[in-house]
Amino acid sequence: MAYKILIVEDSKASREFIASAVESVGGVEAFTTSTGFDALKLLSRQRFDLIITDLNMPGINGLELINFVKKSPTYRETPLFVITTEGREQDRAKGLALGAAEYLVKPFEPQQLEGLLMRYLNIA
Amino acid sequence: MAAFADILKQFFYAPDEDVGELFRPSIPADEMTLLASQERPGEYLAFFLAQECYAIPIDQVREIVRVPPLTEIPRSADNLLGVIKLRGEILPVYDVKMRLKLCERPPKIAGPEVEPGSLTSTSRILIVRDPEGDVGVLVDAVREVIRLKPSEIESLAPGIGGGDHLVGLGHLGTDLFILLDIHKALA
Amino acid sequence: MTTSTKGLSDFVAEATEILDALSRDLAILDRRRGERLEPDLVNGIFRSAHSLKGLAAMFGEQRIAQLAHQTEDLLDRLRLGRIELTEKVVDALIESFDTFQVVLAETSRRERSAVATERAEAVSQKLAQFIDSGTVEQSDALDQLELDTQVRNVLTEYEEHRLRENLREGMAVWKVRAVFDLSDFDQGLARLNSKLKSLGEVISTLPSADPGDGTGIAFDIIFGGKVETEKLRLALTALPASVHPLFQFQPQPAEPSLPLERLVSPTPPGAEPEHRSPVRVAVSNAPQQASGALPAYANPRFGTADAMVRPSPKQPDGEGDPVGRGLTQTVRVDIGRLDSLMDAVGELLLIKANVARLAEQASRGGKPPPGQLWGHELHRESRLLERKLDDLQKGILEVRMVPLGQVFDKLARTVRRIARESGKEVDFLMRGGEVEVDKLIVEALSDPLMHIVRNAVDHGVETPDERERLSKRPRAAVAIRAMQRGNQVVIEISDDGRGLDEERIREVAVRTGILTRAQAEEMTPRELQRLIFLPGFSTASRVSELSGRGVGLDVVKTNISRLSGMIDTHSERGVGSTFTITLPETLAIVRALVVSVSGRVYAVPLNAVSEITSIAESEVRTVEGREVIGLRGKTIPLARLARVFELPETELRRRFILVVGLAHRRLGIAVDELLGQQDVVVKPLGGRLRHTPGIAGATDLGDRNPVLVLDTGALIEEVVNSERRPELV
Repeated sequence: MAYKILIVEDSKASREFIASAVESVGGVEAFTTSTGFDALKLLSRQRFDLIITDLNMPGINGLELINFVKKSPTYRETPLFVITTEGREQDRAKGLALGAAEYLVKPFEPQQLEGLLMRYLNIA
Repeated sequence: MAAFADILKQFFYAPDEDVGELFRPSIPADEMTLLASQERPGEYLAFFLAQECYAIPIDQVREIVRVPPLTEIPRSADNLLGVIKLRGEILPVYDVKMRLKLCERPPKIAGPEVEPGSLTSTSRILIVRDPEGDVGVLVDAVREVIRLKPSEIESLAPGIGGGDHLVGLGHLGTDLFILLDIHKALA
Repeated sequence: MTTSTKGLSDFVAEATEILDALSRDLAILDRRRGERLEPDLVNGIFRSAHSLKGLAAMFGEQRIAQLAHQTEDLLDRLRLGRIELTEKVVDALIESFDTFQVVLAETSRRERSAVATERAEAVSQKLAQFIDSGTVEQSDALDQLELDTQVRNVLTEYEEHRLRENLREGMAVWKVRAVFDLSDFDQGLARLNSKLKSLGEVISTLPSADPGDGTGIAFDIIFGGKVETEKLRLALTALPASVHPLFQFQPQPAEPSLPLERLVSPTPPGAEPEHRSPVRVAVSNAPQQASGALPAYANPRFGTADAMVRPSPKQPDGEGDPVGRGLTQTVRVDIGRLDSLMDAVGELLLIKANVARLAEQASRGGKPPPGQLWGHELHRESRLLERKLDDLQKGILEVRMVPLGQVFDKLARTVRRIARESGKEVDFLMRGGEVEVDKLIVEALSDPLMHIVRNAVDHGVETPDERERLSKRPRAAVAIRAMQRGNQVVIEISDDGRGLDEERIREVAVRTGILTRAQAEEMTPRELQRLIFLPGFSTASRVSELSGRGVGLDVVKTNISRLSGMIDTHSERGVGSTFTITLPETLAIVRALVVSVSGRVYAVPLNAVSEITSIAESEVRTVEGREVIGLRGKTIPLARLARVFELPETELRRRFILVVGLAHRRLGIAVDELLGQQDVVVKPLGGRLRHTPGIAGATDLGDRNPVLVLDTGALIEEVVNSERRPELV
């Protein structure tokens, strides 16, 4: 049974990049979406083992998504990574305060994300 | 707002639905040496069907799950309750109570005409290993994992039980466990 | 990070998209020099710069990332009201935009000229100058709000700023709590948002896992505007929303500024939410004629002002709408988008069924010419719809086809990592990455391919030392090749390593009791090689950490079979091994029509359905007691699915008929409702249920319970063959 990872990122190419980094970890399946709204819908339909989100998105922003996830009885314990760009320290601090487990600053090496995934998903 | 809870239940996958793989309690080492000279107990999973307590060898049980929504199979045998989806796998779920003469007909738990009250919060499905493909068996509640030594198992006296699907009776203190050949009960 | 060709083209494509949006927004900004800023416009430009920065950073395009970073910083201060939008600032923004284009053009050609680099640096410095000037710190007006810390914690810096601005301008602020049904909350939210946006500014939308007293999902919307609470309540009466004032509208704010004054003031202290006003319309349109890029609000001075007002300032570029940004094409197929495409197909199909029915009725009605004409018209319409449907379907299927290269890139990374970890030197060669197969197949292939490639690197190839002893090239080669052969796709994974050890295989097979000694001695090397696909068979004495997770080749084989594919191996001692996977290009996925009968949902493979129509109960005839229906002059047997499946029947005046089968073996299957179309993977029921009559398998439509897929062939057998065919056919 593959681990399911939800990636919420409004940049198409970044989404692609993150997804392929995620999928290079064996036994992991990536699901992608570009908006917080679609993320809410997907969260209701699938059980995800880990969530990776951008912060700055139109509609529902990443912080709101984290807040939702961390308050939901189903996803409270689900690890959540925040992907940010350099700067916006205030928003990043808020993300961590809301319960994000890790944050990655672009650009990051795929190996860095892979390492975190294996750690949080307990993949040997 | 009873509907609300239902909607939320559907909205969110409940993680506790997977009761998960059965763990096999290992026998402590000192007890092991003690037992070596004596008889080795077998491990059984005990569960309730109606008011009676049944048990089957635990290595026949793959896992125990809560009852997810079932899909009925049209024109199927009476004892086939329906199919479930378990992590992508489609598994049939059977009733054994009718075979054991514990009810007249199996409960209707799949499809739109579900009978209310036929499932309770303790109802579970045992996923049983089967060479023909694993199957689910609906039970009213799971009791515990018990260990029975051969000396604690009584063979059936004539007049007790109505078929070859009963293997014997297990005694632990005052408790009585009906040992079931699950494959015969399903046949 | 080295950027692959595919990565680069992805990057360039998206960067171009962002620059397009940026150019549109900057053009508007340029035209409105000296005017009051619309917060959404500035925020949109900020977002573009921010996205560009993130994108460039992700792909290691430092020149663009750096410049975008400076641009973003400037825009951030601008949108937070810390600096003013002067002529110079606008010019600098446009200059940075021009520079982006130059640098991006170079990047796409994999060039990097000193001239462009210097230009980017110069512009960066220019932008930095503005950033240093002026920081306006405000006392925190948010403290006077009765805002849950919970809400406050999720506001981004920008949202906080907008909230402050609203307070500063004497707007009232509310928390609007709306509860929607889970199934269509996005639509409900869009309705509410458009209502709210006509009255003020939506500052933040906060989804809540705690839906309060409703029956769905709740959203807390922080909203600012200059209306009375009662008016707001009135405006929202039709919507499932409740209004909680956080800060009351104050007729005389501390900083007195009447709307009209602010509207005509050329350089207001900061941005502010939109307000419709005749005055503003006139002002904002005045300098616009020359550019003419936005015909939507040409003709500035005429007509009643209100009629001229755009419903929302974000309209022309679609910004601000939560869905608006998602409308670009992506390589990776987004599930949400796929769903909506599927919905569209479903709808079209329903229309088609409807129109076809009307057409049939009208032309059969025997009415005078107009009626028949109408019928012909409808027929033509239905053909048109059919064609559209075909196009749409083709479009979706194309979207679903993804190049295998997606998986290959991933494999390449894995090979590099494993080689590094196991101290081997491996060249990974990929060919045929452009071969396309259905997304679902690609996804399902990923694990098996990964496993074989891991095996090849981990067990197949030797260490550099060993290879040198064997007088092989120290760098081993692992190659993956994909080829299209007819409607099959062949994938080969080969290595030039030590090859399979048939003697070991023989030994293990005998030891584990798979074969008797005699059997094993008789087997050819080829037959022995194939044993590795048996469950539980592994020649490695203990499971290597690298090949990992103890999954054997039997699982690989099962996974491939599940896709209706085959796997075979060919190996030579000391020379290497090749694994060959043959797959159908599509299959596994069946397009299905989802129907309901007596409250049950079934899927019907669409390729089995030649026509969909509907009939009234009165149109059902019987021949020798068997029900039949007329279909354009032909009579075909009718099977009510509810009856065939012994389900309680629902009373309906009309039913839908799925015509299945060909020529003389046609059958109309009556169902209650058509629910839509969907691509499904059919799983056979297997085990004890493998002979279930009329059922081909089960599938997952995203509900919690499985949905059965009908076996139309078996249903035809059952109904048509078991009875005498009606004489009339």
